[in-house]
Amino acid sequence: MTPPATHATPTVLASTARIFDLSLGQMLWSRRSVFLAFLVGGPVLLAAGIRVVSAADRLGLPQINGARVGGAALFGTMIWLLYVRVIVPVLGVFYGTSLVADEVDDKTITYLFTRPIPRAAVLFGKYLAYLVCTVLLVLPSVVFVYFLVAPIGGTIGEAFPTLVADLGMLAVGLTAYGAVFAWVGARMRRPLVVGLVFTFGWEPVVLVVPGYLKRLTVAYYLQALVPHAMPRDSPVSVLLQVFSGGPSVPTSLASLAAIAVVALWWAGRSVEKQEYVLEQ
Amino acid sequence: MTPSAPAIVAANHLSKWYGQVIGLNDVTLSVPPGITGLLGPNGAGKSTLMKLITGQLKPSQGEITVLGESIWRNPALYFRMGFCPEQDAFYERMTGLEWVTALVRLNGVDERQATEMARRALETVDLTDAAGKKIGAYSKGMRQRVKMAQTLAHDPDLFILDEPLAGMDPIARRKTIRLIKEWGRAGKSVIVSSHILHEIESMTANILLINQGRILAEGNVHQIRELIDEHPHTVYIKADQTRALARQFLADDGVLSLTFEDEAVVVQTGRPDAFYARLTALAASGEFGTIHEVTSPDDNLQAVFQYLVKS
Repeated sequence: MTPPATHATPTVLASTARIFDLSLGQMLWSRRSVFLAFLVGGPVLLAAGIRVVSAADRLGLPQINGARVGGAALFGTMIWLLYVRVIVPVLGVFYGTSLVADEVDDKTITYLFTRPIPRAAVLFGKYLAYLVCTVLLVLPSVVFVYFLVAPIGGTIGEAFPTLVADLGMLAVGLTAYGAVFAWVGARMRRPLVVGLVFTFGWEPVVLVVPGYLKRLTVAYYLQALVPHAMPRDSPVSVLLQVFSGGPSVPTSLASLAAIAVVALWWAGRSVEKQEYVLEQ
Repeated sequence: MTPSAPAIVAANHLSKWYGQVIGLNDVTLSVPPGITGLLGPNGAGKSTLMKLITGQLKPSQGEITVLGESIWRNPALYFRMGFCPEQDAFYERMTGLEWVTALVRLNGVDERQATEMARRALETVDLTDAAGKKIGAYSKGMRQRVKMAQTLAHDPDLFILDEPLAGMDPIARRKTIRLIKEWGRAGKSVIVSSHILHEIESMTANILLINQGRILAEGNVHQIRELIDEHPHTVYIKADQTRALARQFLADDGVLSLTFEDEAVVVQTGRPDAFYARLTALAASGEFGTIHEVTSPDDNLQAVFQYLVKS
């Protein structure tokens, strides 16, 4: 027998980078990405529709419940209602819960788990690929929406700083939701169901209940990062007032960072310890 | 192999169960260096044992060591091991070269060196011409060979091969058997599973017989050879010209029956050695087009095991 070789296991960081390399292309061109590209295309179509309608209107300003709103406010509303409350969590759920589950379902996990890398690196590398993939899906969509909606009743440059802040905020949201759902995927049975219940059941309900429970959501911290002044005297403003009174921006950022780090660490630990029994 | 050579795999009262189902039941064994065949019908526990040896599963009870170390959560051992799993699973959109390179890179090798190692491995399994093709477009036999390529690319000391010949055409089968024997001669160790005695016998005389999660016997393959000869051996063959190929078998004394299923012929033979030799010669002649698939159901071995368990 050959004497033991003196190989050192590659570090988590190096292994993560290699799994990222391996996974990014797979993830970008997956059926899931194609399907979710349609989802993020929805707001662009809506924005295009609004632009056409507003161009046909003499005043050029769309109305929400009788109140005329400018492009910047409309953009802020779309960011909040479509991206923050729907698209970002949905992307987090669909990608995050499947980081390891896809490899298990496809039975390709064997090839990764029989290589000299820490198992947690498989999850971390795939998580990074998820971030790049979702950022590439979401951010262009937001930019398109901005350029379609912002000129309505205003100028493109006027609200540009908020666009930059929005892009940053959405990236932070994808980071936090992805980590939470990566943990759900690594730890729980039926992770997709759990993720959808969390996103469309737990978070909306808890956010309108007075008390501390709302701190057990991602949306609570994320909403504090929304930089927009919203239109008043409309149901949207009423809705947004319900969500107001959140933590400060630094507190939110620190909380979201803590959520992401802790969730990822737990997820990595679960993957390290868990057995994956593949159906023959 | 020297008598004092340390075991490459040692199991001590090893059990694995999945909920209420027992996969492996109180197995104690010591696998010597060299080539060892793990022989058993489907569902016997071969894959469970392979997964325990490769550290994919954690023992429910007992312990297992590989190359002298515990394998569970010990990734450094994978530098010295190559695993060819049974399942037909790949990243279908990658080319063979990209896939093998990406896996070799996980061994800490840089891109250039990994590509070189992958090319050599693909050459070893005769896939150089198809290296740039997407795996999704590979035939069953090519998919088996690309799995072998990722197993050998990093030059491991111990090969764990789970049903490596399944679906290969006769020529690829012969080459793979030759390759495994070369590894044995080069001082590498191989644990290879199959449900076909004939395949194992062509690689090694040292076998582990497994059935219903227990090791039935360890030792020399020739001792059960006579038993298997008493039972007809079934072979399923898919070729370009299946019927013309089947006509060639009609004249063989050893062939007991021929039936057609879809585009394949199912042959029952009493002399598997002679039959496989003839099949390989016919494949090499190219007279009947490409032989796409040769598989053997596990009924052959099941019959022998039933006999062994009863006696």
